[in-house]
Amino acid sequence: MEIYLPIAGISINFFLILGCGGLVGFLSGLFGVGGGFLLTPLMMMIGIPPAVAAASDSNQIVAAASSGAFAHWRLGNVDFKMGLVILAGGIFGGTIGVQLVKVLRAMGNFEFVMTVVYVLMLGLVGGAMFVESLRTIRRSKGATAEAVMAAPASESGLTRLFNKLPLKMNFHRSGLNTSAIFPFTIGTTVGIMAAILGVGGGFIMVPAMIYIIGMPTIAAIGTDLFQIVLTSANVTLQQAMVNHTVDLLLALILLSGSTIGAQFGAVAGKRLKGEQIRILLAIIVLALTVKLFLDLVLTPSDLVSLAPAKGGGH
Amino acid sequence: MKRLAILSLACCLICFWGAPALAITPEAQPKVITSASKNVVEIGLSYSGDKIFFFGVNPAPGADVVIKLTAEKEEAVKLSVKGKVGPLWMTVKQYEVTNSPFIYKLHTSKPLDQIVSKETAQELELGYDAVRGKMKLHLIRGEAAPEDEETVWKGLLKIKERATLYNIVEDPARLEISEGKLFKHYFRFPPAATEGRYQVESFCFQKGELVGYGKDIIEIKKVGLEHWLTQTSQNQPVFFGIMAVVIAVAAGLLVGVLFGKGGHH
Repeated sequence: MEIYLPIAGISINFFLILGCGGLVGFLSGLFGVGGGFLLTPLMMMIGIPPAVAAASDSNQIVAAASSGAFAHWRLGNVDFKMGLVILAGGIFGGTIGVQLVKVLRAMGNFEFVMTVVYVLMLGLVGGAMFVESLRTIRRSKGATAEAVMAAPASESGLTRLFNKLPLKMNFHRSGLNTSAIFPFTIGTTVGIMAAILGVGGGFIMVPAMIYIIGMPTIAAIGTDLFQIVLTSANVTLQQAMVNHTVDLLLALILLSGSTIGAQFGAVAGKRLKGEQIRILLAIIVLALTVKLFLDLVLTPSDLVSLAPAKGGGH
Repeated sequence: MKRLAILSLACCLICFWGAPALAITPEAQPKVITSASKNVVEIGLSYSGDKIFFFGVNPAPGADVVIKLTAEKEEAVKLSVKGKVGPLWMTVKQYEVTNSPFIYKLHTSKPLDQIVSKETAQELELGYDAVRGKMKLHLIRGEAAPEDEETVWKGLLKIKERATLYNIVEDPARLEISEGKLFKHYFRFPPAATEGRYQVESFCFQKGELVGYGKDIIEIKKVGLEHWLTQTSQNQPVFFGIMAVVIAVAAGLLVGVLFGKGGHH
């Protein structure tokens, strides 16, 4: 069943888009990642122009994340206070990031820089998560699932250091009493990265919340989804206003798939142990790293390609 | 006054120089009477390209026929060329290509080089060599190299042929001419052919000389929801953006509510 997408200007199979949306929605619900880092390349692979792919993905992420956030809110996994502090940092960082992107673009080869940063970032995050989850699984053999879920990630030296900073706040849901400067800084850092990498940033944010802030895995995921809703809503609006690249029809089909997928993801997430979720995410992240690395070193099949039109990611 | 005289003299000279290059004026030839199965293509929700039949009467029986489909709009595309820097592949230069057609399809009753001379083909823009000859490259970034023209042309051709925006068919079976008089064929408009006006030009050649010319205009336009979405996104971007966000949040919450109820047994 072919469908014509008005803004993308292409005709494409309806179920292909629905399937892509469903797959990414499932991962989104399971891991709390917006899925932008998977969906944008996926859309480009099936022939959607990059600028339209990025902008329409932001639009569907609003839906997938609000569906996921709602599901997590019902399960009591959203720390609104923490989410808002991180969001404030995220918006601040995002603004800086957009300016950085502008400078990098002017210098040329932005895409190349982006891929290199991706490979380094994803490799680091994926590798660290993989090793850590493996260690946890080995250690907790025999322990019940509940006990593991309830136990917050081990207090790192960093966590203790940040406990001494001013502006202390009590984050009830996360079971933390820590300085607000800390999540704000993380929000800012991730905001900058997200703008440069053109993604929602969930795949950096979630590990940061777990390993650096010390939040429980499930609360980190719920809270991240909550802040993603607001961030991607902002990006969608900006893209529609500045670049006219939001394909509402494409986004609607994607979100039909992804909202449903996200529900299954959230349920599956409840069934899996924290470290199992983390090891799965780590494997996906590492696989993507390898793919991007190969893109950098293997001879490309097309030496000449259409240069991306103006318009950034999300 | 003196300056004006020099200027008009210069104009005359340019005209004289220009004149031989325009030796063939298709419009001055006997008109080839043509007809298309339809002149307006509507892009609706299920649009996946369209096929249009064309019929024409050959003014000189037995003449060879060449039919060209192009878009009225010219396009400028930006192309990135990759190169190896150390172990890594990255974009080393970028070109802007102008004067290249957005769509270029050619049907001929026999191989083009048997119908017209290279010069005529170049003049009437028939064949890939002619397209390539007219194309202009502007280096935006990086250092130019002698082989760039070749690389960029091949790359562009590959991109266009993949989208079936460019193709050349030199097959008598595809462009039928009944008893040397009535010719018929069809063009497939790929889904990548977006809104705009397209022209189908029919050229008739006898012994390499142009003896007839005809032109049809095909208009592709979006209708219904496709038209509304495109127009709104262009003309009321703020409204469009807010609408996109509101619909997304509503859809997300709706599914959340539905599944939330179902999941709490």
